[in-house]
Amino acid sequence: MSYILDLLLNQIFTQPFLLLAIVVFIGYVAMKQTVSKALIGAFKASIGIIVMGIGSSALSTNFGHLLTALRNATGLQGAGLNTYSTMTAGFEKMDAVLGEGVGTTWGLYTLLVAFIFNLILVALRKWTKIRAVYLTGNAMIVQCGITVYIVWRFLGTGMIPTILISAVLTALYWGIFSTLLIKPAKVITGGADLTVAHQQMFMDFVAYKVAPKIGDPQKDDIEKKKLPSSLNFLQDSILATLLCMIIATAVIMLVIGGDGIDALRGADGFNQAAYKNTIIFMLWIAITLTADLWVLLAGVRMFVGELMMSFKGISEKLLPGAVAGVDCAALYGFAPKSVVLGFLCGALGQIVGVIILIVTGSPIVLIPSFIPLFFDGATVGIFANKFGGWKALVVLCFCTGLIQIFGSALAVAMLDLTWWQGVSDYATIWVAITAVLKGIGALLGIPVAG
Amino acid sequence: MLNIVCVCHNGMGTSMLLKINVNNICMENGISASVEACSHGEAAGFLMNADIVLTSPEIVEMLPPTDAVILQTTNMLDKATVTELLVNCVKEHFPNEM
Repeated sequence: MSYILDLLLNQIFTQPFLLLAIVVFIGYVAMKQTVSKALIGAFKASIGIIVMGIGSSALSTNFGHLLTALRNATGLQGAGLNTYSTMTAGFEKMDAVLGEGVGTTWGLYTLLVAFIFNLILVALRKWTKIRAVYLTGNAMIVQCGITVYIVWRFLGTGMIPTILISAVLTALYWGIFSTLLIKPAKVITGGADLTVAHQQMFMDFVAYKVAPKIGDPQKDDIEKKKLPSSLNFLQDSILATLLCMIIATAVIMLVIGGDGIDALRGADGFNQAAYKNTIIFMLWIAITLTADLWVLLAGVRMFVGELMMSFKGISEKLLPGAVAGVDCAALYGFAPKSVVLGFLCGALGQIVGVIILIVTGSPIVLIPSFIPLFFDGATVGIFANKFGGWKALVVLCFCTGLIQIFGSALAVAMLDLTWWQGVSDYATIWVAITAVLKGIGALLGIPVAG
Repeated sequence: MLNIVCVCHNGMGTSMLLKINVNNICMENGISASVEACSHGEAAGFLMNADIVLTSPEIVEMLPPTDAVILQTTNMLDKATVTELLVNCVKEHFPNEM
């Protein structure tokens, strides 16, 4: 009996690759799919979790070398801005204290509980006013993973309270902010019954409210103007990530100097003595980091695809009248020029933000990358242009970029991670939530974990 | 068996939801297909064996060259629109697959 209990509790329901397989299998069966399809889906989800782990550990090792070199040379704490690697960085810190796989397990349970809470909040929409079901699985798992880390770090709670607190916080955030965007999203899509469920919902709402005060959407609609298509290459997610990595690596190499680079080549660094030429070594580092990130992403994509199928099916079955909260990119077809201009203005804001951090002697420097750069600027840009024209877009997207940098610096200071989300909700609302949790933990005299 | 590829900016969110819809549409209309989701930046590998590509107009010009039939709509997540596009395309180009 105790053997079976141990098998269930310690070897199945706490092993992310098996836990996820079981969830996906149940999801397929609940959707009345064949057993063979359910098994294939379950195995693919398992493989996805393992692939994510491979990418994550390679990334944290390699990115760690670069950050350590920067810290040794300047005393600065560096952190990259990317959503998926922030989740796995939090998981790794939890695993280091609680045991292998624990972070991911708690994250997955939080995802399931938060999704159920989200459905309940929508089912009670008469009282809660929450009408949107959050269906962007790729953002959901990241958000649950990071909330679990924040709650555990500051409240020091055990498995069940951590999961419940995290799930309540995340489900309320999903429900409130995606519901706020139903009205403006309907205007943007010309009547489609969907809303944005992503990670810059607060800034989207700010843009919707503030943009009309800055400009005239009729006169200055960017969608009616011409834009050059030569900037398209920047929208290539892999190439843009590589560009960010090349710039970051080159800048760090300039800062740490010849001795630092030699140390980076050595056994305590990347252990790549063969790359004697510094430029080739720099390219190798940047390409390796991009590849590690891609592997991480490919893993997430594999299991999220399987999970989303069940989530979507279950919510459509239980709550047929609910508004679907979907990925922000679902709006991009409706306003392609706002996407490009918003992305560029947001990127400019982030670059100026990083320069201000360095010039003012901040102990933390941040390295921008594609996801927070592209998806925030582009989405805020769509809302700003639709309700205030291109002038509002330029102002609001630039400000979004600045806010992303300063808010993320505050978050990194509190959370001590090598990665942070960078997206604007996590540079505003979630910085405030983190500060509140930190304050509660300090008031109760709870030691900071991880 | 048709190979259908859904393409968006990062291959994680929109194209994934589209993929789920396309899977359901194929099942409902008796189309036998294998469906994948990807970003336009990594589409070259996926498009080698693709028969149909589903994406949004602003992405079309960023796609690598392909022999596949390209279907585009501004509202990728509207199931009715995608159903119409897809079913008409299969009837016209791949009548044996229905």
